[in-house]
Amino acid sequence: MRKSVAPALALIQLGFLAACGGGGYGRGTTTPPPPTQMIATPGPPNVETLTVDAGPTGGVNTAFVSVQICVPGTMTCQTIDHIEVDTGSTGLRILADVPFTLTLPQATNGSGGPPMTECLQFADGSSYGSLRVADITLPGSGEHAANVVVQLIGDSTYPVPTGTITGQSACPGIAENSVQAFGANGILGVGPFAQDCGGGCAAPNPPLAGVYYNCASPSTCVDANASLTEQVANPVSMFTTDNNGVIVELPAVGAAGITTVSGSLVFGIGTRTNNALGMATVLPEDPNSGFITATYKGIAYAAGYIDSGSNGNFFTDSSLTQCTTATGFYCPASTMSESATLQGTTATMLAADFSVANAETLFSNASYTAFSNLAGTIPNPPPPPQAQPFDLGLPFFYGQNVFTAIEGNTVSGTMGPFFAY
Amino acid sequence: MKLTRTVLGSIVVAVSVAAPAFAALGGDATSVQLDLARMKGALRTTSTARFTVHEITTSYGTVVREYLTPADKVFAVSWHGPVIPDLRQMLGRYYGQYEQAASAPHPGGHRHLAIERPGLVLQSGGRMRAFYGRAWAPDLLPQNFSLSDIN
Repeated sequence: MRKSVAPALALIQLGFLAACGGGGYGRGTTTPPPPTQMIATPGPPNVETLTVDAGPTGGVNTAFVSVQICVPGTMTCQTIDHIEVDTGSTGLRILADVPFTLTLPQATNGSGGPPMTECLQFADGSSYGSLRVADITLPGSGEHAANVVVQLIGDSTYPVPTGTITGQSACPGIAENSVQAFGANGILGVGPFAQDCGGGCAAPNPPLAGVYYNCASPSTCVDANASLTEQVANPVSMFTTDNNGVIVELPAVGAAGITTVSGSLVFGIGTRTNNALGMATVLPEDPNSGFITATYKGIAYAAGYIDSGSNGNFFTDSSLTQCTTATGFYCPASTMSESATLQGTTATMLAADFSVANAETLFSNASYTAFSNLAGTIPNPPPPPQAQPFDLGLPFFYGQNVFTAIEGNTVSGTMGPFFAY
Repeated sequence: MKLTRTVLGSIVVAVSVAAPAFAALGGDATSVQLDLARMKGALRTTSTARFTVHEITTSYGTVVREYLTPADKVFAVSWHGPVIPDLRQMLGRYYGQYEQAASAPHPGGHRHLAIERPGLVLQSGGRMRAFYGRAWAPDLLPQNFSLSDIN
């Protein structure tokens, strides 16, 4: 359960409870019962079915939707299942070897300019492919965006840059250019930003290394800048309605884990009766980094974030035993209850409670794919004043609705980007 | 005693035209200069009795640190910033080990990678616009070296 520790907010909540008649909260009762989670019913006009299962390659704690992709302005379409929903990245990317059979127009750098490619970096590798233009529909809800720049990962026309020609930086790390290597048929980045790279890729000289490329020919791609409109876009930002953010709504998962979970991906915040902020507490993010501060066991971590694309809660705690075979995860002898205090750019603070179970015990049931108590280590973070990470991943989403508002949108008086739950 | 000096990246960019791209882990100070040229960055060097740190701030904002033994051998590297540096260049002859380990199934998804091999330890994390990581060769570490100094 969660609790707000901001005095002003607590007063508002108390006032609200009083106005509601109070029910069972008599004088002397200090702890209200846990909030009852409401999960919106999938369907039009703004709710998509969200599923946690093993996916195409047998992962854990990965939430998927289906997406329909069409050649712009036509009914020539392909629907792809098992697209990972990632509130920690931006943009729709599809794996060519799904197989993806449509021929989408190539996105160019400016009208009549050279075709563009992108190297999408992840901590564990990178994905390379051409930029394409598509019409996108979420098939369950009917939400639609036209002429969206997307990435076709593993597009065989374009060899991965190795940095061997003048002006070309390598696409670094291990290539994740197939469904097998990527772990999903695609990824739907619905994070806090409207574009994937933002202003940092728009005008630096020289261009950012190993991100966007201009391709006079497929084998001669060179580092390039990309304006905001040329970058891979957050599809939600380009919806005609319900375009200011998303809510991930997943039911609670028990201590041992479970085979599969079904919930909802809701589009828009405060745009309809089914996506109101309600009692959720808002944590505005740093508008440049998307980070909030997480204070855990007396240490403030400046690079905190809530991220459906992380399959565990990842943070530093030297008192937790690390696993021997499940490298990078925690394996305490008994399940530990932990709590962090989250704070955005305002004074409001919010408790983030979670538990840490033995990851090797969890993984021993090979048919389970959803765990609410999976946690892992952070690589030794840079010292202050650099940002130190605290990553609340998909386990944190089970049992509570988590809002991610996109930059530039004002919801209930708060400017995005923000998290709320 | 700390020793700090700063070299402007622009001075050494000219070198990069002829310089082969070799680096870092397992290499010597020459490889640091080559990295500097390739990353078009500014260099800051800090020395202690036990090791020297070359810190390169690239033009695109990523900070790369290379840790050298008194015998001039790069035993560790680290990075943090908006993009990941070219790991083939950073890891040098250790890249093959990294490639083999990272290509195997790993439990951390796209946000976290931890590799522990006899010859190479690598930790990588972060998300779009904010990455960090470090790698070291255990058998090259100076005596009494604390891993928390790789940051």
